[in-house]
Amino acid sequence: MITPSRFFLFSTLLLVFLALTSLSFGAVSLSFLDVINGFFEDSEHYFTIHEYRLPRTLLAIVVGAMMALSGALVQGVIRNPLASPDVLGVSHGAGLAAVLYMTFLPDASTNWLPEVALVGGLLAAIVLWLLCGTSSSAIKLAITGVAMAALYGSAIDFVLLVKPLEVNNALLWLTGSLWGRGWPQLTSLLPWLLLIPLGLGLAKHLNLIDLGDDSAVCLGTKPNIIRLISLATAVGLTASCVAICGPIGFLGLIAPHLTRRLIGGRHQVLLPATLFVGALLLVIADLVARTINPPIELPAGLMTAIIGAPYFLWLLFSLR
Amino acid sequence: MLRSLKLLGLSLLIVALPALASAVDVEDEKGTFSIEYTPKRIVVLEFSFADALAAVGISPVGIADDKEKARVLPAVREVIGDWESVGMRSQPSLEVIASLKPDLIIADIGRHEAVYEDLKKIAPTLILRSRRETYEDNLKASAIIGKVVGKHEAMQARLTQHREFMQSYKEKLPKGGSFQFGVARHDLLSLHPEAAYAGGVIKALGLENAKTGAKDGASRRVSLEQLLAVNPDYLIIGEYSKPNVLNDWEKEPLWNVLKAVKNNRIFNVDPNTWSRCRGIMAAEQMAKDLVKILTP
Repeated sequence: MITPSRFFLFSTLLLVFLALTSLSFGAVSLSFLDVINGFFEDSEHYFTIHEYRLPRTLLAIVVGAMMALSGALVQGVIRNPLASPDVLGVSHGAGLAAVLYMTFLPDASTNWLPEVALVGGLLAAIVLWLLCGTSSSAIKLAITGVAMAALYGSAIDFVLLVKPLEVNNALLWLTGSLWGRGWPQLTSLLPWLLLIPLGLGLAKHLNLIDLGDDSAVCLGTKPNIIRLISLATAVGLTASCVAICGPIGFLGLIAPHLTRRLIGGRHQVLLPATLFVGALLLVIADLVARTINPPIELPAGLMTAIIGAPYFLWLLFSLR
Repeated sequence: MLRSLKLLGLSLLIVALPALASAVDVEDEKGTFSIEYTPKRIVVLEFSFADALAAVGISPVGIADDKEKARVLPAVREVIGDWESVGMRSQPSLEVIASLKPDLIIADIGRHEAVYEDLKKIAPTLILRSRRETYEDNLKASAIIGKVVGKHEAMQARLTQHREFMQSYKEKLPKGGSFQFGVARHDLLSLHPEAAYAGGVIKALGLENAKTGAKDGASRRVSLEQLLAVNPDYLIIGEYSKPNVLNDWEKEPLWNVLKAVKNNRIFNVDPNTWSRCRGIMAAEQMAKDLVKILTP
């Protein structure tokens, strides 16, 4: 455990360093001077830096932070460290909508994919809400969510088997990637950033819920309402990110977890800190995915899964 | 004085005319594509586009070749010499493309629509259909590429030559029997139906495709029983891996019921040529393969 002030100082420095690294390395390595010049339109590296790497790096920071916060909120509500936004079925719902769109309207423009995925993710959350209502226990919510996610997952597999036409495109999207995402995607994500202060504002209430519902009520909070707001915020954060980048696996699980190990579980510190950890993880994942075997680009989702899956297993075993 | 100025203007116009005349407009998947110069540094993001360039003797500076140069058809490689790999066809590296400073990019609407706007920032981008294209679609796309790279006549001549070539090979091939091309991997066999590229070449050579029941051009994964339901007279196999699923099926009793097995009519071809590459030269290579198989 380290103190919060040290953590924030250190992670800010690390994030700045990684963002600069991310700007200078890729399939083509550039010097620091080239990177600086790349911000100006007359530079020959203008496209690479300003139009390509800069929005992509910023997107990695924003998406990483949002997914991590979403994970921390879900874990806070469900009060189980193995929970993640995935248990709400949002990513799978978005995935199913995207796959259906790609396979049954193969000639439709892929430009609409984010909107379709967003609607799918939100619909999945609404279905879960209709099934569980507001008064269900956290564990019932989690189990229903996992069951729905599995249902959407098998529907995705079914569609891919029956309509193999667009398998490649769909699979590419389903692994989660920052490839080809730029300023337009970053801009469309901006309104959703409002959810971050909303999520951070829930910190005190989440601490109280941690004490158990009875204590929370005695201490003047309304657990059901807080749970609803937290989950709705988490759904909005996840759905908007998944719509842009595809489901980036494990990020919402490991980022809050790592943060909890680093600085403890008080939500006032945990929630802002997890923003940094999530951003750092996704920037690293995308940097590795771009530079490991250039000019081949691996999906960032693959990288987070490679780190995330073993971490999850280790977590599962160490919890016993 | 005035007169000489007029003369100067006129002569300038004459000099400028060929440049003006070289402006071409073609229809691509996003509407009208115009280019006012003859591109010299071309990056292509699918093998079929490299094939079209090679057909008129142009070398692209970059190809999205999945970082495996051997995936480009040998006949194409012979014409174009060396090139820079710009990554995977599914996710080409935009940085590498930009670093090559191209003056034309040829992209596939099926794979690259999501980055079309980015590509346009690097260079004028001609976007055509390559994946899921049929044999005839490919010839049309080649004609468009010919126009854009300033080789309209050469391309038309090459296309005529190609049709004559296919006709002559059609005459060499014995008629009769149904054909099925499939790709074998370690755990699956997928059949390419008539509407797929290979099926189109088989048809263009006057041969009959086996009936798979597929309406579109997507390749379909089949089990041994489903293969038996199709039961082609000739089974043309591209092996992506060895050993593969067919080695397992050989041990099963159903395998010996297949007509192609009974008559010993299973043939191996290069999966890269038959499945990944599409284009004038690829089709000609496929025709050569078929003649080799059928006229021993």
